[in-house]
Amino acid sequence: MRSDIREILLDREQIAVRVRELAAEISRDYAGRNPLFVSVLKGAVYFLTDLSRAVEMPLEIDFMAITRYGSARAQSGVVRLIKDLDVEITGRDVLLVEDIIDTGLTAGYLIRLLQARSPSTLRICTLLDRPYRRILETLEIGYRGFEIPDRFVVGYGLDYREQYRHLPFIGVLKDEVLREAASAADA
Amino acid sequence: MGGTNPAVKGSRSAPTGAVHFAHQSEAEFAKILDFYGIRWEYEPRAFPLRWDDEGRATESFNPDFYLPDLDLYIELTTLKQSLVTKKNRKLRRLRELYPGVHVKIFYGRDFRQLLLKYGRESAAAL
Repeated sequence: MRSDIREILLDREQIAVRVRELAAEISRDYAGRNPLFVSVLKGAVYFLTDLSRAVEMPLEIDFMAITRYGSARAQSGVVRLIKDLDVEITGRDVLLVEDIIDTGLTAGYLIRLLQARSPSTLRICTLLDRPYRRILETLEIGYRGFEIPDRFVVGYGLDYREQYRHLPFIGVLKDEVLREAASAADA
Repeated sequence: MGGTNPAVKGSRSAPTGAVHFAHQSEAEFAKILDFYGIRWEYEPRAFPLRWDDEGRATESFNPDFYLPDLDLYIELTTLKQSLVTKKNRKLRRLRELYPGVHVKIFYGRDFRQLLLKYGRESAAAL
């Protein structure tokens, strides 16, 4: 598994330090407001878990799941909710916790969806920001862990074909792994 | 002729299946936009870049997509490097002549990685 990784972009300690910094910032900004941390399955689970445990104030967490483009469940051609939130968010302070923002299309969809439910505030906290391929350039990111270069990264929740999520670091996947997968699909 | 009045080639807002795309990668990109509810137009405008002495456009740039809600043009390129260099030159010229126009270029590697992220390995191999 680790032999598929070309280099470690962010190691366990770097991630932990930055998560604590973000948590301190969020604790200051949301003090006394009992925010709701909303996360999207499955990529952001590790980040949400560590972030929420480092925040020093009352908070709630909830999860959503949506179809991903290209997945077997996405045959309808449009994104749809697989799992909705369990709680109402009207009038709540909502923080959308993301693993990575790339094109911004997924986050943009989620923001539109959540905004329609009239939260009091709605902001984005992402561990990774890869702005190189951003399409939704107007997307506002409230909290950003790391800006990363245009590499295919896995680990700490991020997957490739559902693998590598459990790696405790964020690493760059070797090109040959991607090439082999593309060749296999093309065969 | 001045350089601030791009010709309208023809807006073709339509279901993805009703548009004839020049390349399969463009059809795939349109599907991604449709998936996330982003409105798009395919090659709606030609931006003249150079003119002859009589004011006729001799070179133009036709971005592949326009996203009206984002006021953003997108150009996909899966071409070989020599042609990418030519396209980059045209893009620089476009930005000089039309500074208010927002254009983003997706190179072949960018687009392939995007497709791989979505698990579309077969499409990425195109």
